[in-house]
Amino acid sequence: MIFVTVGTLGPFDRLVRAVDELCGRGAIHEQVFAQAGKTSYHARHIQVVESLSRDAFDERMRRSSAVIGHAGMGTILKAIAIEKPLLVVPREKRFAEHVNDHQVATARRFAELQHVLACFDVRDLVTQIGLLHGFRPAPRVPRSAQVSRRIREFLEQSVSR
Amino acid sequence: MGQGRPRELCCAASAGGHLDQLLALSDGWASADVVFVTSLDVAGNALRRQGSVHVIGECNREHPLRVLAVLLRCLRIASTERFDAVISTGAAPGLLMSLASKLFGAKVVWVDSIANIEKLSLSGRLIRPWADLMLTQWPEVAELYSNVDYVGELV
Repeated sequence: MIFVTVGTLGPFDRLVRAVDELCGRGAIHEQVFAQAGKTSYHARHIQVVESLSRDAFDERMRRSSAVIGHAGMGTILKAIAIEKPLLVVPREKRFAEHVNDHQVATARRFAELQHVLACFDVRDLVTQIGLLHGFRPAPRVPRSAQVSRRIREFLEQSVSR
Repeated sequence: MGQGRPRELCCAASAGGHLDQLLALSDGWASADVVFVTSLDVAGNALRRQGSVHVIGECNREHPLRVLAVLLRCLRIASTERFDAVISTGAAPGLLMSLASKLFGAKVVWVDSIANIEKLSLSGRLIRPWADLMLTQWPEVAELYSNVDYVGELV
């Protein structure tokens, strides 16, 4: 099962429609389950829900063979954490999908780091989906201990005496 | 402050991803007395096991009146608690709590959220002149500003 998620920011019909149409054309051979937000778009070839609880979302992601989502940080970090291949399509301001284009930068950077695959034009979606199952996301090793140490040193120097 | 008194630290972040990032820093405040400030009850309830908690409400630039209401709550908390330092990962409520604490003498530590890849967040840009330690989670962002450092990422 391929899991499609648009996150909690509202609908992202450009993505859901593109996947639905690919399924209709027979270009996706797998079952698709989509969390599509509050939308008026009626998908004909894929199963759609508006939203999922946190637990149900995690379960869907775990059980899926691959994930296609918006380039939200929550979706990206979760997919990396459970080593799930993720293809992101960034929300864009010109389509009124977000307040600005920061998801484009997020998608580009996380793709450069090999954590995700990115698709910047839904016409390329079928090609990118073809690459998805062979994609192994690079593990992410946050260096929060270094940040904590820097803050602890700062506090010891500037606050405690 | 005197050597004997424990440090009083305010840890402020909006519920959700901002708070996740803040909690990844808990080694940073190991020996201090911590007071959490967050935006929503759901997050506050989970934090009560770790320290005392103030819930100040959510706000953003789109709703100036709500910003004012949250700022007043922050000022009340800051004036009674008199923190030695505040650590925040944003967003707007974290900015307001940091400014209020600064006004009452606290040092400000700001770690800009991982979501800000090309430049500092709006909150980060607003707190920058007042911050005592300013960190970003992207090396490229640190290069754009004189007093912003990158030492690693939280998530």
